[in-house]
Amino acid sequence: MKNIFFAIAISVITFAACNNSSNKSGEANKINNDSTHATTETNAVTASPLGGIVANYLQMKNAFANDNDKDAATAGNDMLKTFKNFDESSLSADKKKTYEDIADDAKEHAEHIGMNAGNIKHQREHFDMLSKDVYDMVKTFGAGQQLYKDFCPMYNNNKGAIWLSETKEIKNPYLGKKMPTCGSVKEEIKK
Amino acid sequence: MWFSKRRDKKMRLVKKILLVILIVFVAIQFIQPAHNNNNGQVLPTDITKIVPVPDRVVDIFKNSCYDCHSNNTRYPWYSYIQPGGWWMASHIKKGKADLNFNEFGSYSNRKQQNKLRSIAESIEDGSMPIPAYTIIHTDAKLSKDQKKLVLDWTSKTKDSLSLNN
Repeated sequence: MKNIFFAIAISVITFAACNNSSNKSGEANKINNDSTHATTETNAVTASPLGGIVANYLQMKNAFANDNDKDAATAGNDMLKTFKNFDESSLSADKKKTYEDIADDAKEHAEHIGMNAGNIKHQREHFDMLSKDVYDMVKTFGAGQQLYKDFCPMYNNNKGAIWLSETKEIKNPYLGKKMPTCGSVKEEIKK
Repeated sequence: MWFSKRRDKKMRLVKKILLVILIVFVAIQFIQPAHNNNNGQVLPTDITKIVPVPDRVVDIFKNSCYDCHSNNTRYPWYSYIQPGGWWMASHIKKGKADLNFNEFGSYSNRKQQNKLRSIAESIEDGSMPIPAYTIIHTDAKLSKDQKKLVLDWTSKTKDSLSLNN
């Protein structure tokens, strides 16, 4: 009998521990959330509704350039939150439709990148599709900051892929540290 | 003498634990997850209504993908025994959230193209159909020819979708 109690006690403790850790990650999320808010606000000064999304994207891009799947996942989760908090009321009716179409797709990529720490190959597949989404958004709504559209011809069996960068210098997020300078600037996107 | 007494105690304890496990096992049988089944109704958003899909490709999808990526699952015997059914239900929920062939038409053009790309990628790298599925449904494993059929179809369909855009 004693042992049964012991087993129950252990399971209670493990459960409590699990809860505890999930609480902790909840808090971490909150902090992340706050920081995204902060970036959204600072970028709001430059008057693009996309400020927060672009900030999350660049954070993710830099994580991929450093082959860092965990930071990329964090940026993905942050981006998902930014999308959820996005205020569509600032958009005109026709732009709203464009936004919703792109955001609907982009959210999914952000989510998958967030879920797939440990599988950077899969994360990068979604980053490729996400980059197109963010590029189209930036072209429609403006980024609020100077950006460069870069192109890597080798990624995805030489089908190539684009990405956006805040610097002119090439830091390839698809091939990472293996070939950091592969690619070229295709377009300067003015503020 | 004291030794066998202890052993006796131990036996009783093992029996008790087994009994508890049995009771829990029986109890969870009463919690059956809802079935994913709309009786084969073909929705206007079905992929076959949106883009041309050759019969042979449809057959592959039905046999290897639809159990988790459509509104109709063929339920095997072990799905009626818990926690097997719960485990399956969670896979189906996740599968449908990522891609539902019956609701392909509800995705934006952009999303449809990306879904096709993801189908191709996951078949190419063998991550789909998932091993946990093909280990039981051995006939769902895709042969080289079947893979090629699907991949040819995805690339052709993707091109036609991007022209529509």
